[in-house]
Amino acid sequence: MIATTLLAALPPLLPLSLWAPQQAGDEGFPGLGAGRAPKVEIPWNRLYDYGELLAHMDRLVAQWPDFFSMEVIGHSVESREMRVYTLNNPATGPAESKPAMWVDGNIHGNEVQGSEAIAYLAWYLLENHGSNERVTELVDRAAFYLLPSLNPDGRDRWFEGAHSASSSRTGPQPVDSDRDGLFDEDPADDLDGDGSIVQMRKHVPGEGTHRLHPDDPRILERLPRDSDERGDWVMLGSEGTDDDGDGRINEDGVGGYDMNRAWPSLWMPEHVQRGAGPYPLYWPETRSVARFILEHPNIAAVQSFHNMGGMILRGPGAESYGSYPSADVRVYDELGKNGERMLPFYRYMIIWKDLYTVFGGLVTWTYEGLGIMSFTNELWTRDRNFPHEEQESGRGFAAFYEDRHWFDDKLLMGAGFVDWKPYDHPLYGEIEIGGFKKDVGRVPPTFLIEEMLHRNAAFCIHHAEAMPEVTIEEPVVTELDGGAKAVDVVIRNVRPIPTRTAMAASKKIGVPDVITLEGEGIEVLAGGVRTDRYRPERITLQEREPERLLRESGIGGRGELRVRWIVAGEGSATISFSGEKAIDVARRFEL
Amino acid sequence: MHHPILFLALVSVFPAAQEPGVELLAHDELTVSLHVLADTHEHVELLSIGRSRGNRAIEGVRIGPAVEGKPAILLVANLDGPRVFASGVALHHARKLAEGYATDEAIRSFLDRTNVYVLPRGNPDAAEARFDTPRSERRAGGHGVDNDRDGRFGEDGPADVDGDGAIATIRVEDPEGTWVADPTDPRAMVEADSNKGQRGRWKTYVEGRDADGDEDVAEDPAADTLVNRNFASGWEQHEPYAGLFPTDEPEALALAEFFLAHDDVALVVTYDELDNLVEAPKSVKDDAPSVKRIPPAGVLESDAALLKELGERYREATGSEAKSSEADEGTFQRFCYDHRGLLALNAVLWDMPMSDPPEEEESEEGEEETAKKEEPSDDAKRLAWIDEQGEAESWRFLDWKPFEHPELGPVEIGGFAPYARIEPPESEWDEIADEHLAFLLGLSDALARVELVECTATPLDANVWRVEAAIENNGLLPLQTRSARRTRTVRPALVKLVLPEAGELLAGRARESVSVLDGAGGREEFTWLVTGPESMEIGVTVETTHAGIAQKKAEVVR
Repeated sequence: MIATTLLAALPPLLPLSLWAPQQAGDEGFPGLGAGRAPKVEIPWNRLYDYGELLAHMDRLVAQWPDFFSMEVIGHSVESREMRVYTLNNPATGPAESKPAMWVDGNIHGNEVQGSEAIAYLAWYLLENHGSNERVTELVDRAAFYLLPSLNPDGRDRWFEGAHSASSSRTGPQPVDSDRDGLFDEDPADDLDGDGSIVQMRKHVPGEGTHRLHPDDPRILERLPRDSDERGDWVMLGSEGTDDDGDGRINEDGVGGYDMNRAWPSLWMPEHVQRGAGPYPLYWPETRSVARFILEHPNIAAVQSFHNMGGMILRGPGAESYGSYPSADVRVYDELGKNGERMLPFYRYMIIWKDLYTVFGGLVTWTYEGLGIMSFTNELWTRDRNFPHEEQESGRGFAAFYEDRHWFDDKLLMGAGFVDWKPYDHPLYGEIEIGGFKKDVGRVPPTFLIEEMLHRNAAFCIHHAEAMPEVTIEEPVVTELDGGAKAVDVVIRNVRPIPTRTAMAASKKIGVPDVITLEGEGIEVLAGGVRTDRYRPERITLQEREPERLLRESGIGGRGELRVRWIVAGEGSATISFSGEKAIDVARRFEL
Repeated sequence: MHHPILFLALVSVFPAAQEPGVELLAHDELTVSLHVLADTHEHVELLSIGRSRGNRAIEGVRIGPAVEGKPAILLVANLDGPRVFASGVALHHARKLAEGYATDEAIRSFLDRTNVYVLPRGNPDAAEARFDTPRSERRAGGHGVDNDRDGRFGEDGPADVDGDGAIATIRVEDPEGTWVADPTDPRAMVEADSNKGQRGRWKTYVEGRDADGDEDVAEDPAADTLVNRNFASGWEQHEPYAGLFPTDEPEALALAEFFLAHDDVALVVTYDELDNLVEAPKSVKDDAPSVKRIPPAGVLESDAALLKELGERYREATGSEAKSSEADEGTFQRFCYDHRGLLALNAVLWDMPMSDPPEEEESEEGEEETAKKEEPSDDAKRLAWIDEQGEAESWRFLDWKPFEHPELGPVEIGGFAPYARIEPPESEWDEIADEHLAFLLGLSDALARVELVECTATPLDANVWRVEAAIENNGLLPLQTRSARRTRTVRPALVKLVLPEAGELLAGRARESVSVLDGAGGREEFTWLVTGPESMEIGVTVETTHAGIAQKKAEVVR
């Protein structure tokens, strides 16, 4: 108690070590300039294919076998293991007894770096438990369920194959995208065999839609439609041929669906929402994740990692949903706005309103369907390339490529660009092939990766710290005339997220919170929640089983519940709180 | 009085191989019947589409010679658990078709042109309640929720509290009640209409205990999900009967998967709790705009017109007037149409008729009362129908009997017996089934069938030929329903020009894709210019998933 009072009075620059039990070399890593070496060294400036990623996760399991465990929850289309890693301190109870945060990444195969952010989060929490007080406190009261990749097939294909930044978003289950009875028969083709899928352009003097940028012939500029000038060039799309001879190019590639359109809340079929598949949770990856989440009602926070654009997104995904309950929106806003400061250049946004309509998204299901506060972060934004510059909107594509080339030339020594080279195309004849490689645009260059990982992991920690925590104050017993007693108790949720979100309460998701008063020889005559702090007779009485009060709406964020029971008898009694998304607590007292 | 189930048990001991009538079979017997059917008929193939949550095999048969490109009809019955009669009719059809291929010309020509998949029992777990004691109409299974929000799951479900072998209805007089006994027949309960000054006097409950002491009866059963509310179209999230997510129930998943895997299915027929043949469903204009990106629900008017025609044929063939008051949110039938673009023809087969109660003999001075006499409720009319049938159908209503309920005190237990409202009298079973089979056979002509009616080559020059082909659809249904043109889930017809190695296409596309081909003579023509060697054979083929395949050749000689 004394230490706490002292600390409150001290300036904030006080070293952390003052209140952490100090052991030599055990403090302050990372986030401070100096500190011990980590127990597990992982290079945080690069991206890993699925095997490498899991190997790092498994090294964490080997280092902290009590705290970190792995389970296989299913298999991908190509039989890769769907792995969930559970981070929990068993000394403070099993994971299921605690509020838990679910974090997934890489649902789009090409949006890879969320997986590294998840590995970083696990590593950071494990490394710092026991030395950093905040991390210790969080890990001791909360669990984490971490799915490093929701789409491991798409991930490995993106790493290993010839791809562009935006290809391999799908999983590999064949889809007849062009409805000709053949499956995946006309993908993009790495025509020149250089390992990249880039762009095709053709020189057509006087007959084109584009001209070369006057200062940089690597860039094509589209001529304005109302211009009289004729261009000398046309763009022919992504590298490829008409493999099936139907007159179209690259129109039926691998897969062709979107696992973030597959979730059951406001799911819409393919003709309304492209990529949705024939019914919700159609792909095995999605179904195994849904089952895991449904089987863990202690999940109280959800984070999904995508790329890119620098966004902290929440639902609704579609205008037709309407709006979310205001009590929950307040929590979303608090976390989202803090996130904007923690993640420079990220904006806190509503999916349908500020981005685009998404029917059947994962985080809209976990909130609308399951009542869990849920965010999608879109990792990486090109604004990080020139952090000192205000990005002007409306400068057009040419300016976008000017910036991209400038950055690539000056900071990556040109490594991100495949220069235009002639190619003899079977249909188009003499063309040129060139463009930016797959790792430009959607993922940061190596030297900016670690910052992205840390800031996003910190946002997860901020969200996880907001998960409900319930305390029971010392009850006050008042003797009533005639021998009965009144027991007044304040039950608090000291965290920002309600024990039951307004969504969970209004849709009757899961079970209500239960508050009990028990004791041998004690009879509970009446009980209920007080509605007025000063007038003890204002109680919403629960007619049946007053010793077991049910609370559909739970306890609000940083909220309190004032409960009063009228009891007969004496002796020891226990007041208990039990809820799905908080650690159950109990308090003994004498009557 | 004998209960019909007892008769059934006797009947089913002797498989009626020659004249298969309608039998209502428990799961094990149904399984044997389907296996026997497949084992003993050349053109019958057993279908095993999955297993129920209770680990019962969900099976059916495919009937007809296996020929590539034949359109198929999928008949699904008994997704709604109590509709066991519907599965009996589906099994009847399967047997008649299997037997009839060798002996009945109409059946033979039907099966030669049409594949039939019969899945008689979509929901075997719930259906089994039909054969259990106590008897109950079990609809829900699978996932359960905390219906009464007391933090306990499934602690207060239905039970046969009076031990009479049936789960019926409890009624109890209560000042808070919202029901009244119909003054024209006090056995019938009707909801009090406060707008007419009626005050409720009774509460009614499904028969059960108040196991959790909350003064409500059977309000939190262990299972809540209805298989046929567990499909994706219009799925009602957060409703206890809808389940955790669409196709979470294994029966729904198995059927959806089977359906998706069989793109030869051109038409779906269901015998269940939904109707769209007797009463036209809600329709919307073909071009009705989406609202906030969501298309309006309902049958598109072009398809509604087809449904109307088929509905007329249905009523003519069956005379059925059985409508449905069920909503179609989350049903297989709606999934078929809204999401997959196939018409589902839905029949409820039978509904209990209503009769006017007999006029009471009136005393002369009672004339004024007669003028004010109340219109009997629908249930009173159903009771009148039961009374007319005499002893054989008297099982359908359990007279209200006083009972000392352990929690509620004195109550009455009675009401319509389980299955009374949905199973026709046994004497009508075969007739209903035969009429429905007749309707089914008639559907063969309704299916879209793409025919290649023309393939010619005309010389334009010494070595340039104009090749012309035409396809037609002489079925009633278009190649794709209006819904399918929207959902893009039905593969278009592919018309291919086949040239020899030395031939060369000068104009046209070697593959044409056709989505729009109306029924009743819809026609599409194609033209190509080709060149080639002195003589060659030019072919045109048309392929569809669900409306046949065809090919024709044209010889050209310079």
